[in-house]
Amino acid sequence: MQRIVDQGTLSQLRRGVIEYCVLALLRDGERYGFELVRTLSEVPGMVTSEGTLYPLLSRLRRAGVVETSWRESPSGPPRRYYRLTASGRSVLEAFSGEWVSFRNAVDHFLEQEKAV
Amino acid sequence: MKDPSLHPLAPDYLKRLKKAARRLPRARRYELVGEIEAHLIEALPAGASEAEARNVLDRLGEPAEIVAEAGPSQLLKAPVAAHEWWAILLLLIGGLVIPFLGWFIGVVLLWSSRVWTLRDKLIGTLVLPGGLATPAFVFTFVAASTGSGNDNPGGGVNYYLTLVLLGGLAVLPVLTAVYLSRRAARTEAAA
Repeated sequence: MQRIVDQGTLSQLRRGVIEYCVLALLRDGERYGFELVRTLSEVPGMVTSEGTLYPLLSRLRRAGVVETSWRESPSGPPRRYYRLTASGRSVLEAFSGEWVSFRNAVDHFLEQEKAV
Repeated sequence: MKDPSLHPLAPDYLKRLKKAARRLPRARRYELVGEIEAHLIEALPAGASEAEARNVLDRLGEPAEIVAEAGPSQLLKAPVAAHEWWAILLLLIGGLVIPFLGWFIGVVLLWSSRVWTLRDKLIGTLVLPGGLATPAFVFTFVAASTGSGNDNPGGGVNYYLTLVLLGGLAVLPVLTAVYLSRRAARTEAAA
């Protein structure tokens, strides 16, 4: 009997990690909202609707892990740029370490399953 | 809003977004609508074909879905604010503890919170200014005046009528407190 992966579980997983993907994109410097959203949505399987990333950016800002500033744009209205705060940087570092052991643990069981 | 840099399909989308976002606190609503508008300006040139425009809007997602995402962070939860609970408590009984001032501090906390919308704040302030202290104050006043006017034959009836009215008056701030805490809990869970 074929079973389809529960979409709710997948979207929970995505929701859980996407904030850290945003933080990781900001590791090397600031980016503006549209740029972040397009970069994330170009990787398949990560973002189901681009619009939902904007409330997420707002949450990150309110949580103090990113901060924003307005810059003139070469074309059109000014853009809101996002940048990591010191706290954001340490959250990202902590998560990166945890993620590796989590991913290895999941892989460990999935591959074992396959080998049987 | 007639912005020449927007595609003809964009204003309708933004209108639906604004409507869906009405339940958000004002600052959050402005931020969200502003960001989505900036997205549309970049992603959707005014001269784009209708098919291109629909693709961009599909990728963006339904306004209701976006607003629903203005929900709690799974991993970076803002600390649950004691602020809001103090506001509710002081609005209700603050005036009993410190006459007038206690309630007034509650009002200041209510208006400085980002959890409630303008409508919630108006209800919190105007549905019985003074909270429970107001019926309590009126009660002592009435008790004092009827106590001295016992020889009035109609006094008994009036007295009970006043008590019933005061009971009704006392229910109002309690209902407001329940309303505000529900709204706060809802925002906590959904915003």
